[in-house]
Amino acid sequence: MLVIALCKGRFLEPSLDLLQRTGIRFLDDVASSRKLIFDSADSADNLYRVVLVKPADVPTYVEYGAADIGIAGRDVLLETRADVLQPLDLNFGHCKLAVAGPKGTSSVNGSGQPTIRIATKYPNITLDFYNSRGIPVEIIPLSGSIELAPLIGLADRIVDLVETGRTLRENGLEILEVIAESSARLLINRAGYQTKRDEVRRLIQALEKVVAGGVS
Amino acid sequence: MKSYTQIPPGTQILIGRAARRRRVLERAICSVFEGWSYEEIIPPIFDYYDVFAKGWGQEEQIYRFIDREGNILALRPEFTSLVAKTVATRLASSPKPIRLFYSGEVLRFEKAKGGRQREFAQIGIEHYGGAGKSADVEILLVAVETFQRLGIQSFQINLGSVDFFGGIIDRMELPKEQVGALKEVLNIKDQSGLESLLQQLKLDEQRERIMRAVPHLTGGRQVIAEARSLVKNARSVEALDHLEEIYSIFERLDLAQHLTIDLGEIRGFDYYTGILFRAYVRGLGFEVASGGRYDGLPAAFGEDTPAVGFSFSLDRLEQLVMPALDSTEALPPAVEVDSDFAKAIRLRQSGKAVKLCL
Repeated sequence: MLVIALCKGRFLEPSLDLLQRTGIRFLDDVASSRKLIFDSADSADNLYRVVLVKPADVPTYVEYGAADIGIAGRDVLLETRADVLQPLDLNFGHCKLAVAGPKGTSSVNGSGQPTIRIATKYPNITLDFYNSRGIPVEIIPLSGSIELAPLIGLADRIVDLVETGRTLRENGLEILEVIAESSARLLINRAGYQTKRDEVRRLIQALEKVVAGGVS
Repeated sequence: MKSYTQIPPGTQILIGRAARRRRVLERAICSVFEGWSYEEIIPPIFDYYDVFAKGWGQEEQIYRFIDREGNILALRPEFTSLVAKTVATRLASSPKPIRLFYSGEVLRFEKAKGGRQREFAQIGIEHYGGAGKSADVEILLVAVETFQRLGIQSFQINLGSVDFFGGIIDRMELPKEQVGALKEVLNIKDQSGLESLLQQLKLDEQRERIMRAVPHLTGGRQVIAEARSLVKNARSVEALDHLEEIYSIFERLDLAQHLTIDLGEIRGFDYYTGILFRAYVRGLGFEVASGGRYDGLPAAFGEDTPAVGFSFSLDRLEQLVMPALDSTEALPPAVEVDSDFAKAIRLRQSGKAVKLCL
């Protein structure tokens, strides 16, 4: 049996869609149920179990081997620095990880202070990015409504995931610099890749076909 | 000031049954090592920082401190550098091969993971003076018997060689940062990352083909044949010959089902120079053993002699259900004795366990 960790939220539906298109059928309606564990309807030697977890926790489940496989955004992988295999770009959930701020400002200057204050859900990525340029920053960790921070003086800039840019625009902010591109990735536990090689490979190949076939 | 009762992150305390499991496991493994004529070495818990910084690398993970004379010392983060130093100095004139095993705690400043804390127990062997495949096969066989002795059947040893990928990368003459970036994407088998890197690097078609193939070169004997069709350089080809010989020996010994050729595995400490392996057990998310060849390490301490070895993680092994550990569930039954101390002594002299009920 392979255990697959999926994110609750906006990734769930496209993730389930991909799995179903490889032929996996689930006993329950995963998207509408309140359960957290779902088994596939396949025979015992070809069984999949899906567990639903918070997006930021998917890499942890996979790194520790509690799940053999996971689907998570590249942003989460970069932030958690989990040591897992990442063989496939699943080609959905495209976003940019970017420094944003008030229109016409710059990513490398604050508001006259020697240290730029940056509000973010991604403290590790932010520090890596600015450290590599030798620019001192103060991280202000937030867990939501990041765009608010520069508007009321909590921070000079933000580092956040930008999908359409609409929230930024409506709050008078814009992308100042893109740090990385993000999209959904397939994660695999290193030990499981070896000890369950045939099962894991079969699933990777099936997913690869589905992804290459064009995802609508 | 933190409270006295707080436990610093990364330490643990084994009590009663947990401590018994540790000791039983340790003794079982030591008896395998001794059965292959390995002698124990008990090195110091600390040494000069340079011993580990030059040998092992990974400087940011070393716990270091300064003694009263201003020397920089370090708590051992691993045994291999310490053993190599001893072989190159104290044992320089001893006849080769030298076979040594060790067991003890090491300390690394890293995230606790997979049951392994910052202080964790390593047990392993080092073989000095054997350059050829015989020494490589010997230590692999010791690892196999260790698993078997513990009653673990579903173990998998992944065998690779730093020379296979090394031979490919040598001839590309890429700048260091690009080699680093390439290793990074290959290390996590990131296909899309590799594709965008290949676009920047502008390698010739043949080399692009090799790079795309490397992450998938994992499996049985056919992997070696597949790899042969990709490379021509002497260093890579020699590495493949070497792996094939080892694989053939394992086939003849009927042990090949435990061996996986893994040429896509390019991780490892800087000191590795030849074969490189990691062992996994079904049901555990992290490797339980790792090792390889490090011919350059003794030379760093002044004695140029080939070396190969491995270590097991006791903390991770302990998480597996093992028949070998069944006897550790409880202390042997004891005779209860009141305040009759003389009786207690007599019982002890006759070999009985006693428990004083005072």
